[in-house]
Amino acid sequence: MTHEEIRESLAAYALDAVDEDARRTVETHLQACSECAAEVEALRGAAAALAAGVPVVAPPPGLRAQVLAAVRGERTTTRVPRIWIAGLAAAAGLIIALAGLSFSLSRELAAQRAQLAAQEQLVAMVGRPSARAITLQGTVEGNVRFVYDPQSRQGMLVVTRLRDPGRGLVYQLWLVAGQTPESAGVFRPAPDRPVLLPVTADFGRYGAVAISVERAPVGAPRPTSAPVLSSSL
Amino acid sequence: MSVDNDRVGGDEEAFLRRVAHGDERAFRAIYDRYARSVYSLAVGLLRDPQQAEEVTQEVFLAIWRGAAQFDADRGRARTWILSLAHHRTVDAIRRQRVRAAEPLDPAVPAPSDAAEEAIRGVEGARVRDALARLSPVQREAIGLAYYGGYTQEEIARRLGVPLGTVKTRMRDGMMRLRDLLGNARSEVETT
Repeated sequence: MTHEEIRESLAAYALDAVDEDARRTVETHLQACSECAAEVEALRGAAAALAAGVPVVAPPPGLRAQVLAAVRGERTTTRVPRIWIAGLAAAAGLIIALAGLSFSLSRELAAQRAQLAAQEQLVAMVGRPSARAITLQGTVEGNVRFVYDPQSRQGMLVVTRLRDPGRGLVYQLWLVAGQTPESAGVFRPAPDRPVLLPVTADFGRYGAVAISVERAPVGAPRPTSAPVLSSSL
Repeated sequence: MSVDNDRVGGDEEAFLRRVAHGDERAFRAIYDRYARSVYSLAVGLLRDPQQAEEVTQEVFLAIWRGAAQFDADRGRARTWILSLAHHRTVDAIRRQRVRAAEPLDPAVPAPSDAAEEAIRGVEGARVRDALARLSPVQREAIGLAYYGGYTQEEIARRLGVPLGTVKTRMRDGMMRLRDLLGNARSEVETT
């Protein structure tokens, strides 16, 4: 769609009256077009005001505790960074700041250093006698391993080869306790380098790890599709 | 509404930033401020308390996980949260419709037509006044989209008009609403 065609659809987009494909097309355009992004924000403000048009109903009293418990549950499984890609980027930023060379370091070098920091963490973990490593297998081809140390409760997903999940999608890692999958973060594979995704958890509670394809950017509270890769712990 | 340190007052954007850093207290405050709006929207559109509860939980988990994606330079926290709530609610409506295979034939009345009813029963005085200033066809297109969860294609089929006409009605109506509603805070918050 051209800029003009997308402009025509922005009102429908702000009202959630477009299908998934059109939605993705608009969102890709918004990344690049600040004019349309500003217009969408204004239209969304108007759409959000329409929420006041429904009768006010108090939520069930138990819901608050349920939501807070769900959030706390996520906290214990994914205690350190919640958005892993952002976490890696932040690590890169920190290294730049520490080096005091924020202007002269190229972006590539920063990425390499972030990678190195995560690799060092991985090497330190693998060095512990209690650490274990498993390979995830399933319906997509790739090289995905999960290294974890039940004693220190540290783990890391190591993705060295995995196809792109597709536009608007991410891979989501799950730790499975009994029949209940708990989110351990989302990631996108990188074509030219391994992606490392740290996980802090009490691994004794979980019987398996699994990866499913979910909607970007935040994934889903529960898997919405069958896992593409999994392994027992 | 009352404002103290644990309650979200004027700067909801700062609260979302704290949520992005994993601050549970800030998250609780956001929940307390928005649970009623989010749940009311979900139950009003879905007409199913059980599903509305699930959607509400999904929305707040998405806020917890995705707060880092909120960009205060681009918009307000309120807009971000209510847009997220509407999007998830509409997703649930569409899943519901796939299951129920609800007829879209305009000759067949839809079983529970939340849209028209919502338009008739609009509570917020400011929203009602703003909607009243749209043309009837603009009001109808926007109401079917926002309160009914229909796509623009479904609305075109339902009304028996070309898609381009629906787009124009939505666009003109939303521009008008933006001018009437876009910049003021909603007064309908009840705490």
